[in-house]
Amino acid sequence: MATRRTFLKLTAAAASLATPSIASAQASGRVVVAGGGFGGATAARTLKALEPKLDVTLVEPNATFTACPFSNNVLADLREISQQQFGYDGVKKAGVTLAQTSATAVDASAKTVTLADGNKLSYDRLVMSPGIDINWGALPGYDEAAAEKMPHAWKAGAQTVLLRQQLQAMDDGGLVVISSPANPFRCPPGPYERASLIAYWLKIWKPKSKLLILDSKDTFSKQRLFQNGWAELYQGMIEWVPLSQGGKVTSVDPSTLTFVTDFARHKAAVGNVIPPQKAGTIAQQAGVADRTGWCPVEPVAFESTLRPGIHVIGDSAIMGGMPKSAFAANAQAKVCAAAIVELLAGRKPVDPILINTCYSLVAADYGISVAGVYRPDKGVLTDIPGAGGTSPLEVVGGFRGQEALYASSWFKTITTEVFG
Amino acid sequence: MKHRLLLPALASVLSLASVVAGGAVRAADTAPPGASSCTGCHAAQRIPDSVIPRIAGRKASDIVQFMREYRSGAWPSTVMGRIAKGFDDQQIDAIAAWFAAQPE
Ligand SMILES: Cc1cc2nc3c(=O)[nH]c(=O)nc-3n(C[C@H](O)[C@H](O)[C@H](O)COP(=O)(O)OP(=O)(O)OC[C@H]3O[C@@H](n4cnc5c(N)ncnc54)[C@H](O)[C@@H]3O)c2cc1C
Ligand code: HEC
Repeated sequence: MATRRTFLKLTAAAASLATPSIASAQASGRVVVAGGGFGGATAARTLKALEPKLDVTLVEPNATFTACPFSNNVLADLREISQQQFGYDGVKKAGVTLAQTSATAVDASAKTVTLADGNKLSYDRLVMSPGIDINWGALPGYDEAAAEKMPHAWKAGAQTVLLRQQLQAMDDGGLVVISSPANPFRCPPGPYERASLIAYWLKIWKPKSKLLILDSKDTFSKQRLFQNGWAELYQGMIEWVPLSQGGKVTSVDPSTLTFVTDFARHKAAVGNVIPPQKAGTIAQQAGVADRTGWCPVEPVAFESTLRPGIHVIGDSAIMGGMPKSAFAANAQAKVCAAAIVELLAGRKPVDPILINTCYSLVAADYGISVAGVYRPDKGVLTDIPGAGGTSPLEVVGGFRGQEALYASSWFKTITTEVFG
Repeated sequence: MKHRLLLPALASVLSLASVVAGGAVRAADTAPPGASSCTGCHAAQRIPDSVIPRIAGRKASDIVQFMREYRSGAWPSTVMGRIAKGFDDQQIDAIAAWFAAQPE
C-alpha cells in the first residue's frame, strides 16, 4: 500500500524523470546499427523513440528477418516458416533509415562503416548485433557443403526447411542424431527443445524412430525439467550421451551422415549438427572480438573494451551471466540505446538491471522456463542472488500448459515490439 | 485509504513531466533500471491474443502490491516470483510509477 514514504519516493522519481531533458543537453548525432535481428532492430527503434533528433541507420542485408525462437516448432509441423518471418516496415515507420546491405568493414579510429553497396557511413556511436556465425573449421568434416547434407538449422530459414524435409522423408524406425556443442553457444536450451519437439512429431508420425543427442557437455540448461519431460512423454525414444560418456563429436562424415566420437561412429538417418559458433564475422573484422571469438564489453552501455565508440550486444557479446537469447538481445538493446542517448548528451548512464527469460517447449502444450535478473558487479553482468531459476520440478494442474501459452505470448510480444 | 488521494496527484506530476520533457511522450528515456526488460513480456503496444496481462497504465499501487506478493510468494505465479525476487522495494516503486505513467 502506498504510504507517505513511498509517495515521497515516487514523487522524487517523477521529478528525476523531468529534470534531465530540461536541465541538460539533448543527445544529437549519428548512430549506425549493424545487424537487424533481435538486438539490432530493437536498438535502432529504441534510439529513435528515446531521441527523435538522432540520425539512426540500420544496416541489414535481408529484406525479411527469419526468427529462430519457435523455429523448432516448424520442425514439428506446428508452425510454418512464414510465421517466423518479419519485414522492416515497422522499423522504417519508426524513423530509422534502412541500408539494405551488409557492413563489410569498420574503421574504429575514423569512425566509419563500409557497406557492400560501396557506401561509407560515419558514426558517433556504432552498435553491432550481428548474431553468430558458424565456426567453420572447428569441427573436422563440417563445412558449408556438409551443412546441405547435415543441416545445422541454427540460423533459421532455408536450413530449418531442409531439416524438416529430411525428417519427413525419413522412414519410420530411423535414427535422428543431434550433436550439441560446448559452451558458449546461441540458445543454451535450444538443442534440447529441438530434441523434444522432434520426438513429439516422431511419436505421432514415425513412432518406431529414435533420437540420439551427442553432447560436448556434461550438463545442460533446464536439464532435469527436460529429462523429466522426456521420461513422462517420450519413454525410450531420446538417448542423451554426455561428454563423460563419449558424447563429444570429434568429426563428421557428411557422405555417410556419420558422427564420429572417440569411442564410436554413429550413422544417422537424419543428422543435425549444431556446430561450434563465434561472433558474427564483421565483429572480428571490426576488431571487437577477442581470441575466444566473442566480444568483451563493459556491463553498463555494452561498449567494447577493445574499441571505444563501438557497442556490441546480443549473441556476439560476452555478457557475463546472461545467456545468448533473443530475450537477452532485446533487453540489452534497450539498455544500450538508453545509455547511448545519455553518452551523446554528455551524461553518464546509470547502472542497469536486466532480465532474461528463456521458454522452451517439451511438447506443444508443455512449456518450461529459466529466468535470471542481472546487474553490473565488478565489471561483469552478474546474476542477482536469490532471483531467477527454472520452473519448479513438481507442479500441479495446468502449470506446464500455462507456460506453453505464455511462451507463445512472449514471442508475439517481442516480435511486435521489434518488428511490428 | 490514503493512496486513492495521492495517486491521481502523482499521475498528474508524471504526465506533466513527460509533456515538459519533449512534447510527445518520451517517458521511455527515463525508464528506471529494470523497466525496459519488463516490456519484453509486458509490451507498450496491445498484443492481440497475448495471455500475459497488460501493465502499462495500471495503478502504481496495484503494480507494487503484485510485485511484493510475487516476491514473497503470497501470490502464485509461473514466472513473476522468480523475476520479482531480483528487485528491492525502492526499485519496484520506481518501475511501478513508470508503468503507471505509460498510456494504457
Ligand atoms: C533453434 C533456436 C531456438 C531459439 N529459441 C529461442 C527462444 O525460445 N528464446 C530466445 O530468447 N532465444 C531463442 N533463440 C536464440 C535467438 O535466436 C538469438 O539469441 C537471437 O537471435 C540473438 O539476437 P542477435 O541480435 O544477437 O542476432 P540475430 O537475431 O541473429 O540478428 C543478427 C542480424 O545481423 C545481420 N548481420 C550479420 N552480419 C551482418 C553484417 N556484416 N552487416 C549487416 N548485418 C549483418 C543478420 O543478417 C541478422 O539479421 C533460439 C535460437 C535457435 C537457433
Ligand atoms: C518472461 C515474461 C515476463 C517478464 C520479463 C515480466 N513479466 Fe510480469 N508477468 C508475466 C506473466 C506470465 C504474468 C502472469 C503471472 C505468472 O504466471 O507469472 C505476469 C504478471 C505480472 C503482473 C500482474 C498483472 C495482473 O494483472 O495480474 C505484474 C504487475 C507484472 N507482471 C509486472 C512485471 C514487472 C514490473 C516486470 C519487470 C520487472 C515484469 N512483470 C516482467 C510475464 C513476465
